[in-house]
Amino acid sequence: MLELWTPKYLFWPILLIALFAFLRSILSRIQVLRMAQKDPRLDHLKERFRSLLLDGIMQWRQPRYPFSGILHLVIFWGFVVLSLRSLQLLSYGLGISILSPFETGAFWDLYGLLKDVFEILVLFTCLLSMARRLLFNPPRYKGSHEAEAYLVLGLISFLMITDILFEASYCLLAEKNELSISQAMAIPFLKFSRTSLEVIYNLSFVLHILAFLFFLNLLPLSKHFHIITALPNVFFRKLKTGSIKPVRYNVQDIEDLEYSGTKYIYDLTWKHILDIYTCTECGRCSDNCPANLVGRELSPKMLTLKLRESIYKTYPVTVQKKERPNPIIPGEVIGEGEIWSCTTCGACERECPVFIEYIDKIVDMRRYLIEQGQGPSSFNQVFINVEKTGNPFGKPPAKRADWAKEAGEIPVRILKKGDQVETLLFVDSYPSFDPKANEVTLSVVRGLHKMGEDFGILGPLERDSGHQVRRMGEEGLFELLREKNRNLLSEIRFKRIVTIDPHSFNTLKNDYGLQIPIYHYSQYLYLALENGRLKPKRVIREGTYTYHDPCYLGRHNGIYGEPRELLKGILDAPLREMSKSRDRSLCCGGADVGLWYEVREEERMASKRVKMALEIGADHIVTACPFCMIHLEDAVKTMGLEERLMVVDLMGLIDSCL
Amino acid sequence: MDVVVCLRRVPFTQEVDLEIDKGQRQILAENLAFVLNDWDNYALEEAISLKERTKGTVTAITVGTEEDEEVLRRALAMGADTAIRIDSEGLTLDPRNIARLLARVIRGLRFHLILTGAQSDDLNEGCVGAMLAEELGLPHASVVNKIELGEDVLEIKVELEGGIEEISTIKLPCLLTIQTGINEPRYVSVMGIRKAAKKELKVVTIEELSLDKEALVPDVYVERLFYPPETGGAEILEGDPHIVAEKILRILRERGVIS
Repeated sequence: MLELWTPKYLFWPILLIALFAFLRSILSRIQVLRMAQKDPRLDHLKERFRSLLLDGIMQWRQPRYPFSGILHLVIFWGFVVLSLRSLQLLSYGLGISILSPFETGAFWDLYGLLKDVFEILVLFTCLLSMARRLLFNPPRYKGSHEAEAYLVLGLISFLMITDILFEASYCLLAEKNELSISQAMAIPFLKFSRTSLEVIYNLSFVLHILAFLFFLNLLPLSKHFHIITALPNVFFRKLKTGSIKPVRYNVQDIEDLEYSGTKYIYDLTWKHILDIYTCTECGRCSDNCPANLVGRELSPKMLTLKLRESIYKTYPVTVQKKERPNPIIPGEVIGEGEIWSCTTCGACERECPVFIEYIDKIVDMRRYLIEQGQGPSSFNQVFINVEKTGNPFGKPPAKRADWAKEAGEIPVRILKKGDQVETLLFVDSYPSFDPKANEVTLSVVRGLHKMGEDFGILGPLERDSGHQVRRMGEEGLFELLREKNRNLLSEIRFKRIVTIDPHSFNTLKNDYGLQIPIYHYSQYLYLALENGRLKPKRVIREGTYTYHDPCYLGRHNGIYGEPRELLKGILDAPLREMSKSRDRSLCCGGADVGLWYEVREEERMASKRVKMALEIGADHIVTACPFCMIHLEDAVKTMGLEERLMVVDLMGLIDSCL
Repeated sequence: MDVVVCLRRVPFTQEVDLEIDKGQRQILAENLAFVLNDWDNYALEEAISLKERTKGTVTAITVGTEEDEEVLRRALAMGADTAIRIDSEGLTLDPRNIARLLARVIRGLRFHLILTGAQSDDLNEGCVGAMLAEELGLPHASVVNKIELGEDVLEIKVELEGGIEEISTIKLPCLLTIQTGINEPRYVSVMGIRKAAKKELKVVTIEELSLDKEALVPDVYVERLFYPPETGGAEILEGDPHIVAEKILRILRERGVIS
C-alpha cells in the first residue's frame, strides 16, 4: 500500500467516536432485551447450528422469491467476502497491520480476485435492486421504510465504488501488475496524471472509511440492524412449529402473575424483541398472510414494524428511559382487529427468511385480552360451553358418541378407565357433533374397521382437545382440558392415538407432551396402504382433483406426502397442484377465532381458495381436515359452484374405494 | 355505590335429556354440569359495572353447599370485593326461606342497592327478589333492563307486555331484579377464577344467623315430577330435505296458510 496523505492520528478519534456511538446504540438495544421475559433457546444445539448454516449462512429461504432472493444472496455473500477487506482498509487507515501475516501468498491473491469480483457483483446487484424498486415496486413493500432502502443500497454502492476507485488508482500508482480484474478497473484512469490519481487514491479512501463508519452507526437505528441480528435470530429460532409458548417461562405459579399475556413491551420475550429488531421489512409474511390477502386488518409485517416503532420510541438510543411505558394493547399500538384476524395458519412464519415468530406473539396478546374480559363477547358462551360440557356447542357429554349410532354394523367400542386397546381414536368436538364432520368420523371408522384395527373411542369421557381455546387465548381453559384428557388417557392402555382433525393431531402432538405415537388418519392409513393392510377395491377414473393442504397438517407438522400418496393410490384421474400448495397452502379460514367471530374482510379466504382450484381446472378439492371441508364447501355454495366443484374429504374418498 | 348481588348455581340443561329420580321429586343431577344462573350473571355484571362507575363495592352472596362456591369465585374473579356463602346445610329451601336467610345476612351489610336475577334457570319461580325486598322493607322493581344513576334515586326501565316500555324512578336503597340483555356480561377466564380462589370467601351457618333449622321447613314442596303423557297430533316428516320441504309446503297449502 502507498502512504496516505491523511495522518493516522486523524483516523483514531474518528474511529473511536464512531465505535462509541455504535456501542451505545447496541447497548441500549440490549438493555431492552434484558428487560424482556425469559425464553430458553439453547436446546437442540445440533439442530440450531444446522439451521444457522443452512437458513442463516446459506439463506435457504431466500430463493423462495427467486429474483429478490438471488439479489439478496449476492449482497449477503459480498458482505461476507468484503468484511475482510473492510478490516484491511480500516487497519490501513489506523496505521496498524493486524492482517499483514495473511496479506501474502496464494490465499491473498485469490482473495484479491474474489474481492474484485464481488465488489463489481455487489455494485451491479445494488443498482439492479434500486432499479427494481423504482420500476416494479412489489406491493409487499407497502409500509416499509423505502427511502431507507434506497439510502442503504446507495451507501453499499458508494462503498463499492470508493473501494474500486481506491484499488484502481493504487494499481496505476504502484505500477504493479496486479490481478487482471483490478487492472481492468484501472483502464478508465490510464491517462490520468499522477497527481489526479493521488487525489482519487486519497479521497476514495477517506470517503470509503467515513461511509463505512456511517453505515455501521446506521445499522442499529434502521431495518438494516438485521445485518447484525439475523444470524442470532435464526440460531435462536423456534424449532417446534405447531406448539404455543407457555404463558411465562420459568414461572412456577402463573396464578401469581398480575396478568397473563402481553400488555407492555417488556411482556414480550427477549427472542420476540430480537425478532422485532431483525425484521428486514421484506413483506414476505404479509404477502403470504391469508388475513392480509382477504383485506383483514392484519399485516404481519406492519405488526412487527408498529412494535418496533413503539420500542424505539419508548427506549431511544439517546435517552435511558426507565419509567413504565404505555401499554401496546389493546389498541394503543396493536389493534383488536389485528389481534383477532390471525388464523394461526403459520404462512408468515414459514416464509420469513429470518424466522420471525408471529403466532406466539399474537396468542400472548389474546391471552391478555381474554383474561381482562376484553375478548369478543361471542366467545363467552363458547368458552363456558367448553368448560362445562367439554365441547364448544354446549352439547351434553352423554351425547358425544351419538354419531357412532350411524356406524351401522361396525362396533365402535367406547372405552372406560382401565380398558386396553391397540388404537385410540381421539375424535374431538367437531368430528363428534358437527353433522358434516361426522361424515368424516364415520369414514375413518369404516376405514379402521376394514383394516381389522382394534380401536376404541373415549366417548362421553373425552373432552375437547383445547386446540381452539388455546389459540383463542383462553390458556387456563386449555390447561383444564389438557389435564382432564391427560388423566383420562393415563388410565387406558393403548399403543397409539389416531386423530380425525389435524388440529387435535397438532395439539396432542405438540401441546400435550404425550410419550406415545400420535397419527393423523392420513399418516396411519398411508402406512396401512404401504404394508397392504388397506386394500382399495376400485380406483376413481372420473374428474380432475386437487389437494388442499390443511395448515396444521402441512405447514405446522410437515405432512405433505402421505395424503398425496393415498390419493394416488385410489385415483386414476389427474391430480393437479394449485398455485399455492404444500407449505404455501392458503388457509381456508381457520378452526378457531373465525368460527365464532366475524372479522371484517373483503372476501372469504375459502372463496379465494376455491378460485385457485378453478384456475387449474379442478372439479374436486380434496382435503384432510373437517374445518377445511366446512369452509370450502360453504364457499362453493355461496359462489353457486355446486355444479362445477365438489369438496371432499380424503377419507370420504378412500372410503368410497374400499 | 355499594351493591349486594345474590347469585345461584343452576344445572346446565341445554339439550340434556333430563331424568327424574326414583323418588319422583327431583331431577337426577349426577351427570349435569352446573353454571351461574344466566339472569344472575347479568345482575353480577351490572353490579360490577356500577361499582366501576361509582367507585363502590360489590358483595356477592349465595345460599348453598360448598360446590356452589364456584359462582362466588366467578364473582370475585369478575371484580366483587366480598363473597359470602350461607351454608344450606342440606336443607331443601323454598324461595321464602332463601329470602329469609339472605335478609339476615344483608341486614348486617352496608349497601345502597341489592340486585338479583329476575328468575332462575332451573325452577323459574322469580320469587326470591320480591320476597327479599319484603323481608328488608325495601322498595323494589322486577325485570329491570336498564339502570341510570340519579341523586339518591335510580331511573329504571322495564319492558311491559305488548312492547310498551316503562321508565320509573326508585328511591335508594332498593332492590331490583335484573332481566337478561341489560348488559353484556364480561368473560371470566379460567385463570381469573383460579386467581380468585385465593381471595377470602366467608361462610355463614344457619346457626350463626340465629335461625332455627326446624323453622326453615318449606311452605311449598314438590309432590311429584313426571313427564307429561304423550299426546297425538304431531306428525314427524322424514326423508331428505327436498322431500320434507315439499311435504311442509303441501300441508301449508292444505290448511290454507298459503295459497
